[in-house]
Amino acid sequence: MEPAEAEFLAEQELVTIVPSFSMDRVHLIGGDLGPFNPGLPVEVPVWLAINLKQRQKCRLVPPEWMDVEKLEEMRDQERKEDTFTPMPSPYYMELTKLLLNYASDNIPKADEIRTLVKDTWDTRMAKLRLSADSFVRQQEAHAKLDNLTLMEINTIGTFLTQALDHMYKLRTNLQPAHSSQSQDF
Amino acid sequence: MFVSDCRRDFYERIVSQRVLLLVASDVDALCACKILQALFQCDHVQYTLVPVSGWQELETAFLEHKDQFKYFVLINCGANVDLLEILQPEEDTFFFVCDSHRPINVVNVYNETQIKLLVKPDDDLDVPAYDDIFRDEEEEEEESEAESDGSEPSDKRRRFEEEVIERTMKRRQRREWEARRREILFDYEQYEYHGTSSAMVMFDLAWMMSKDLNDMLWWAIVGLTDQWVQDKITQMKYVTDIGILQRHVSRHNHRNEDEENSLSIDCMRIAFEYDLRLALYQHWSLYESLCNTSYTSANLKLWSVQGQKRLQEFLADMGLPLKQVKQKFNSMDISLKENLKEMIEESASKFGMKDLRVQTFSIHFGFKNKFLASDIVYATASLMESIEKEGPETTNFIKALDSLSRGNLDKLHQGLDLAKKQLRAIQQTVASCICTNLVISQGPFLYCSLMEGTPDVRLFSKPVSLCLLSKYLLKSFVCSTKNKRCKLLPLIMAAPMDVEQGTVIMVGIPPETESSDKKNFFGRAFEKAAESTNSRTLHNHFDMSIIELKTEDRSKFLDALISLLS
Repeated sequence: MEPAEAEFLAEQELVTIVPSFSMDRVHLIGGDLGPFNPGLPVEVPVWLAINLKQRQKCRLVPPEWMDVEKLEEMRDQERKEDTFTPMPSPYYMELTKLLLNYASDNIPKADEIRTLVKDTWDTRMAKLRLSADSFVRQQEAHAKLDNLTLMEINTIGTFLTQALDHMYKLRTNLQPAHSSQSQDF
Repeated sequence: MFVSDCRRDFYERIVSQRVLLLVASDVDALCACKILQALFQCDHVQYTLVPVSGWQELETAFLEHKDQFKYFVLINCGANVDLLEILQPEEDTFFFVCDSHRPINVVNVYNETQIKLLVKPDDDLDVPAYDDIFRDEEEEEEESEAESDGSEPSDKRRRFEEEVIERTMKRRQRREWEARRREILFDYEQYEYHGTSSAMVMFDLAWMMSKDLNDMLWWAIVGLTDQWVQDKITQMKYVTDIGILQRHVSRHNHRNEDEENSLSIDCMRIAFEYDLRLALYQHWSLYESLCNTSYTSANLKLWSVQGQKRLQEFLADMGLPLKQVKQKFNSMDISLKENLKEMIEESASKFGMKDLRVQTFSIHFGFKNKFLASDIVYATASLMESIEKEGPETTNFIKALDSLSRGNLDKLHQGLDLAKKQLRAIQQTVASCICTNLVISQGPFLYCSLMEGTPDVRLFSKPVSLCLLSKYLLKSFVCSTKNKRCKLLPLIMAAPMDVEQGTVIMVGIPPETESSDKKNFFGRAFEKAAESTNSRTLHNHFDMSIIELKTEDRSKFLDALISLLS
């Protein structure tokens, strides 16, 4: 899976906007949208929110977890634990990027938020690399990791599977030396 | 007809239609076009953009597209001529004209159906009253009816005499009315000048629809600054318009002072500055900027050796070491940069330059990017008139249009480099013209002609660059000459335009005085002189004071002008 695909899936998440136009309920295949009334907050998928924001028809309300203190707590907790802590949203990285790129004027202290989320991401990637390293080194058969998000799995997925493939090939190449006996004439 | 409610009578009518945008080639028009494009993109309006640089291109574009479009928006072109006569449109085509050229042609003002002017009517227009210029045709029929009325033979002679007297009275009235009409029209159309910038009008429209953004405000600021840089509006009008924009700026940018909720550094901020008038000084070295800005160069007389000495004195007076001043502005010592503006202002008033600081705005986004409005104007103007021929004719226009978006910083930097070259070329040409006494007084005006082999003369074959050169030349000439009468004369400047076709481009600018109202009479003067001498001239530009003519006809044209104006 490409990162772009993960972002596409992230755009389905709901976010609150305050529209500046009015429209009746819209029925789409994936679900219903609206009705939109100026000044009244409404929940829409991120793809629509970004489009409306670009056309200046709405104002984005940052999600609850996108707050400096909460993110600081999250980051500190991530650093303390050895395993992965649960994240506020399964798409926290994609949402941060999308919202901060297109609507940073609606999000207070956007720069700090960006730094905090990046710090958390770096910590989790470091833990992931450590875990993958020990997995390969100790030739484990299976492992279980909780609380990983799709983007993180995606980042390490290809590398890990290819590395394990190589390890398998190297291991099986050693086997014939054991199994084949030298023949006595 | 003037549009009173821009939103209802203009925007709502075109929002569901396909529109053709005809945009003139100057920075103000580019900014207005950008604002309108942003509005169109928000509302998914289908439009086609056609850049035009003269009347001929306007006509060609109109003929090409008249079958497909019913709604035309003209930006910075078309207000000062009779549009219906030139374009001969169908009955159901509509023109929306947003133009800063004045005076507005009376036919455009009084046409009720097809031509809508996006101009605020209180913009000191002085349009003559309808009855003074147009006479109803019914009155003529009444006259002829009265004449052909039969009458009884007994009173016939008396009535006949009465009729004759009536007729002669009417004819005399009519002749008087026509003479007065000619006079009124002559007074009205004699002087050309400029009104509110089109970019500001477009921003007003966006504001009325509550769709205004900081980006659009910045483009409005650049449009106004373009009018100021090119000396098209009076100082008072500039200050008034800056006041209007200042209110919008504080409305959009008040959050910068609030520490709690400060914006991300990537967001664009506009700030009001009372900054130095030196061209491009933050992207150049202070020394270069002092040498190449017309204000400082003219007042310090930098074309002479004495002038250079005065410049050194000026720098020494401020305590700025030469080494610091000659390196890039960003690398100057911070201690020197801190109080630079106040220091320069103090020293400048000792040297006779009282207006070195001017009210303007600056834009700030990211950590590295800070630009003054005048920087953007110079950069965009030089991109638009760059003489390097790459690709079809409209690439320069499109490049300049793109450079106004914040995402295209590389084009902006390219423009800044070209602007530096242009300013240097202007200063060198001005210096050589003054030193070799190329500016001669012809009686009612000053005249200067650039020879074929002058360095960078190709840069001045474009109208905006040539206008800039002429204004700088006039300023410097006024400072250099001792002849009091010559200081009050206007200037005509000629430069070779196309060597193969043997054409010359000629520009006339009004005289340089403290409180000039920037009204230019050369438009009509050129027309009359061309008629009387049958010179092969081309009055192609939207500014009537810029014409092209054949090199051979130049001398008789000038003679005709001299006799006309003296």
